Amino acid sequence: MNVKGNQKTKTVRKKRDIRSGIRNNWQLYILALPAVIYFFVFHYLPLYGIQIAFKDYKAVSGIAGSAWVGLKHFKAFFDAYYFKRLLINTLLLNLYYLLWSFPVPLILAILLNQIRGEKKKRFIQTSIYVPYFISTVVLAGMLYIFLSPTSGILNLVRNAMGLASIDYMSSSSAFRSIYIISGVWQAAGYGTILYIATLSGVDPSLYEAAEIDGASIWQKIRYIDIPSLIPTAVMVFILDCGKILSSNTDKALVMQTAGNIPTSDIIGVYVYNVGLGSGQFSYTAAIGLFVNIINFILIVVVNRISKKTANVGLF
Amino acid sequence: MKKKSLKNMSMSNRIFYLFNTAFWIVVMFIILYPLFLVCIASVSDPDAIVRGEVIWHPVDFSLIGYKAVLKYAELWSSYANSILYTGVGICISIVVTLAAAYTLSRRNFPGKAVISLYFVVTMFFSGGLIPTFLVMRDLHLYNTRWVMILMGCVSVWNLMVARTYIQNSIPEELYEAAMLDGATHFQYFGKVVLPLSKTIIAVLAVYYGVAKWNDYFTGLVYLRDRALLPLQTVLREILATLQVDMTGDYMMTMADSAESMQEAMRIANVSKYCIIVVATGPVVILYAAMQKYFEKGVMIGSLKG
Repeated sequence: MNVKGNQKTKTVRKKRDIRSGIRNNWQLYILALPAVIYFFVFHYLPLYGIQIAFKDYKAVSGIAGSAWVGLKHFKAFFDAYYFKRLLINTLLLNLYYLLWSFPVPLILAILLNQIRGEKKKRFIQTSIYVPYFISTVVLAGMLYIFLSPTSGILNLVRNAMGLASIDYMSSSSAFRSIYIISGVWQAAGYGTILYIATLSGVDPSLYEAAEIDGASIWQKIRYIDIPSLIPTAVMVFILDCGKILSSNTDKALVMQTAGNIPTSDIIGVYVYNVGLGSGQFSYTAAIGLFVNIINFILIVVVNRISKKTANVGLF
Repeated sequence: MKKKSLKNMSMSNRIFYLFNTAFWIVVMFIILYPLFLVCIASVSDPDAIVRGEVIWHPVDFSLIGYKAVLKYAELWSSYANSILYTGVGICISIVVTLAAAYTLSRRNFPGKAVISLYFVVTMFFSGGLIPTFLVMRDLHLYNTRWVMILMGCVSVWNLMVARTYIQNSIPEELYEAAMLDGATHFQYFGKVVLPLSKTIIAVLAVYYGVAKWNDYFTGLVYLRDRALLPLQTVLREILATLQVDMTGDYMMTMADSAESMQEAMRIANVSKYCIIVVATGPVVILYAAMQKYFEKGVMIGSLKG
């Protein structure tokens, strides 16, 4: 990427290298071509298909041929009586989730870094990634099993203490907690990877100097670890903010029961149910576009704020 | 940096290590216990599970759950589908991702910025579920095996990780030497980059493999034909019946129909654990097999990524 950094002794070879490179550059384009085609078909064509949000999509007329209707579908969504509930459910679920899913991996990474003994450290690292490899469906299945009112371990413990069973999966007040706890359980260990990599890149002489000055572990964490993690953490945070309205639709979908609909009804699940279930393509495409726009605005805003305050940003 | 022994440490540091050890014991328990519980329950007697006796070890060891799962034909045909989608998917994904990553890893060549932008844009803008669905239908990919294999075939994130890896781990001198010998990009990519990329190939295999194996949503949205369904989509249906009633219709049909209703329910109580083990086994094995490369590769790829 940066030609500037090259040593002077190499420049002669470099010139020849670039010249011979240009001759077969077409091969570089060919190598990137399959990926380019993939993104064209699976991302750019759907982007072109977004126009149906402003049309009344009819299968016979196709995406391009359907009639324009302007902002009709957006208005219908904003005026719908469930609009407020969907928006609040989606925002709260994601905000609460972010509140936990963002700091926990940071704390885990800092404390994992202080484990004495390479073997112990590696064992912990290997184990905490494992939940990440469990599928959404299996995770939800485990939740149904462990939280079952008749045979779930949690309720068996409650019964042993003389408390009545609770049907957690049908409870709308428990939905968000279950979603967040299971989400953090699954992803927090894996989320440490980036931070561990950052910490392993910290100059060891900093720690040595701190050691000589008699710094305690808390001080080393406070004055070396945390400052070096901030840029990475801010980037992760900005990217997370870009997901605030899109959330983990497939997980909410498998966790949705008749009982928890008042809180589990989020925009993504609604789009799936109404769009594919009842075939209201244009209407739900408009909702999808609305979510995309909000997410993008959030990324840009958070990015700008972090650039001003912490001088770190994605772009 | 020399490690001090615990005795030579200041009081506050000793307290810290004590706290840290206790903290990790608790964290490890929280992470591993649910998985352990599923494993021991899958080989226990269903009655013992319902009575809540299975907590630390299997009780009345029995394999009736696994026997019932083995007999469940649709589970195994979907299992074969998932192996096909994941196997073919991993191969295509790795080749396409590495080839594009190599292109992006090259220094200045005309159009590099445009190609990078072309990829990165897709991280921030997507068509969304419905437009993607309609496009797939128009392209006649709906209800085909191809949509299962190709959907999510390249991830920009993995592409960037692979690019960073190639940039940082393959010495530029090799490229210069190869080009002086008159090698083309195809030759250099095939004979030098690929053989030196074992680590990143392992990482990509795990990432793509896990994503593909665990995906139920694509099957749910893009497939109509039951014979094409992948494992996770079938599992979701089993789950949907679990919601209504812990034993579920699927579980009931799975148990031998000749047996009594009560026996069927008994078997259903244990086979749900067995299904979890059977469904999750392959990814855990994939992770364990690649684990040696995985950590190293992720570290190298994510730095400056």
